[in-house]
Amino acid sequence: MVSANQRAAAMRGGMPRKPIKISQEKVVIGISVVLFSIFSIVLDKFLSEGNIIALLKNVSILGTLAVGMGLVVVGRGIDLTMVAVMVVGVAFSIWVSSLGIDFTVAVLIGAVLVALIGLFTGLMIAFAEIPPIFATLAIASSIYGSGRIIFPSDVLYAPNNIGWLKWVGSGALFGIPASVLIFGIVSVTMGLFLRKTRFGRLVYATGDNPNAARNMGLPTRPIIVTQYIISALIAFIAGLIMTGLVTGINTRIYNSSLIYDVLLVVVLGGIGLSGGQGGVRNVIVGTILVGILTNGMTILNVSYTNQNLIKSVILLTALAIDAIINPRDEQTSQTGDI
Amino acid sequence: MAILRTILAAGIAAAALCGAASTATAQETDQVGRQAYLDAVKGKKVIFIPISQGFDLNQAWVAVWQRHAARYGFSLEVRDPNGDTNAGIRAMQGAIAEKPDLIIVQNPDVQTYARLLKQAQQAGIKVLQVNMQSATQTDSYVGNDWIEMGKLEMTELAKTCTAPNAPSHKVVWLAGVQTGAANIYMRTGIDAVLKQYPQLQLVSDQPADYSSEKARQITETVLQQHPDLCGIMGIWDNAEVGAGAAVAAAGKQDQVTIVTNGAGSDTGCQSIKNGLLDVIFNFNAPVQGEIAAQQISELLQHPDHKAGSEKTIFFGPVTRVDKNNATGRNCWKIDELK
Repeated sequence: MVSANQRAAAMRGGMPRKPIKISQEKVVIGISVVLFSIFSIVLDKFLSEGNIIALLKNVSILGTLAVGMGLVVVGRGIDLTMVAVMVVGVAFSIWVSSLGIDFTVAVLIGAVLVALIGLFTGLMIAFAEIPPIFATLAIASSIYGSGRIIFPSDVLYAPNNIGWLKWVGSGALFGIPASVLIFGIVSVTMGLFLRKTRFGRLVYATGDNPNAARNMGLPTRPIIVTQYIISALIAFIAGLIMTGLVTGINTRIYNSSLIYDVLLVVVLGGIGLSGGQGGVRNVIVGTILVGILTNGMTILNVSYTNQNLIKSVILLTALAIDAIINPRDEQTSQTGDI
Repeated sequence: MAILRTILAAGIAAAALCGAASTATAQETDQVGRQAYLDAVKGKKVIFIPISQGFDLNQAWVAVWQRHAARYGFSLEVRDPNGDTNAGIRAMQGAIAEKPDLIIVQNPDVQTYARLLKQAQQAGIKVLQVNMQSATQTDSYVGNDWIEMGKLEMTELAKTCTAPNAPSHKVVWLAGVQTGAANIYMRTGIDAVLKQYPQLQLVSDQPADYSSEKARQITETVLQQHPDLCGIMGIWDNAEVGAGAAVAAAGKQDQVTIVTNGAGSDTGCQSIKNGLLDVIFNFNAPVQGEIAAQQISELLQHPDHKAGSEKTIFFGPVTRVDKNNATGRNCWKIDELK
């Protein structure tokens, strides 16, 4: 294999031999394959069709959120408002519907609110130039706090006679649950958007080197604002999946580690926090590893606290392996690395 | 003459009697002990430190106590740390420094406030704990007998799952958080029942972190491993709806019995009606609030009793609610309590 590469390189005009690049993505795929094989052998029904579907269904919300986060991180940002936007956006819709407005209309109103929040976040980052990590951290708190004032309770239940919401929760197409389907649609759309549209390429350019992009005359600020609007809307979609699945939304999820799990999936899959790299494929790879881990450990009856511990150790291992294989130096690291 | 004298004497006697009666009435217009009680509670300061006011049970308690506070003129301040343990500790320290007449506390776990509660008692502040106990016993605890709750729920499952037509003897315990007092004590109760029914098989024991989505994920995975699962028991109706959603998605509502406990709010009753839950052991938060209100008035009435000198406990009533009695007082709405 190496010699074939060498020969090919030689044929291309004596270029120096390039070693096979084992990217972080491949490391994660490797770990996933190993874990998947171990679980398949050790655990009785791990490999059953039902369990694989359950596995995917259980990471559909995490994955959907991670696709949105992925977009922002590629553009060298970070969106810590996603979970707050998700719970407050959906809770707001449910609250509006409790005032006697049709639920579907209420969801559209919620979507408008969420888009406005995204717009505000984007403006604060692109024009007020507040570093995204601080801007979104503060805005997340404000969003959740406002929600606490408006909503009577932490847990809000959607009306139970909404056909489409029921379908989101328990419907399926060709045996694929609706939640997984929605995750798939969001992923494919985002993948095409990033790879095939001019705007998508501009996101990479902005993420890779914002100053250069701006000097070239690219509209970097509107691009940044748009990213945050899109990520907010994706968070809203994730919230609707959750509401469909469990008939309501618990705004307290904001206090859980979900937002860090989302970030972890993104970074783990190989989208560097320095921006301009990676894509939806990385997000899916990261999501699937977390899915396999969680599913296997749940079957093994590992407690939630220990699950988090084991999950962190494996994720840290993946990052460590990557750091050894692809060491950072002055050439590879970029300004803006966190 | 003699007759006249007798009549006169009788008249005087009657007048005297009437007079005496009227003096007695004047004395009894004020109900015995009423004024002393009103004076004792008036102007007293009570601080409540909950886990979070976003929970249905907390809202019910506070609605009840505020009614009492307005009626008798004591002040009730709610210092809501909103689920943040550190904020809770600060709230406790602040409350101790203010030296109120009474601190009411709902403990997030058995350890966090244990030392602070001792400090409060040493500083002469009376402490009433509601529903969630600390390792430190204080003047009063009003709430559930959580060991009994564990027994009640597991016995309910034992009856169903050891019956001749039970799908299997497999049961699941979906806990909240492992360090919570309620969890620890419920587990003791569960173990006692499991010993009594050795044929019962506890196939999964994982905390769902009071999250319906986490409960749904665990249930969905467990159902893949144990398609013949018989029963699930949990700790909070608002979380176990997630387990119900997973069971419903698998079409196993007739096979899997879901038992949990709750504050008795209408949302729980709706979940029973929607077929997401089968049985809720309802500890009726408004009744619990009234019992605590009795304790508040008792502790305020005796400022001469040293803080921590008498330690009392009262376990509130528990009602088994299923689809036959999910109505009326078993399903309160917060607006009706105010």
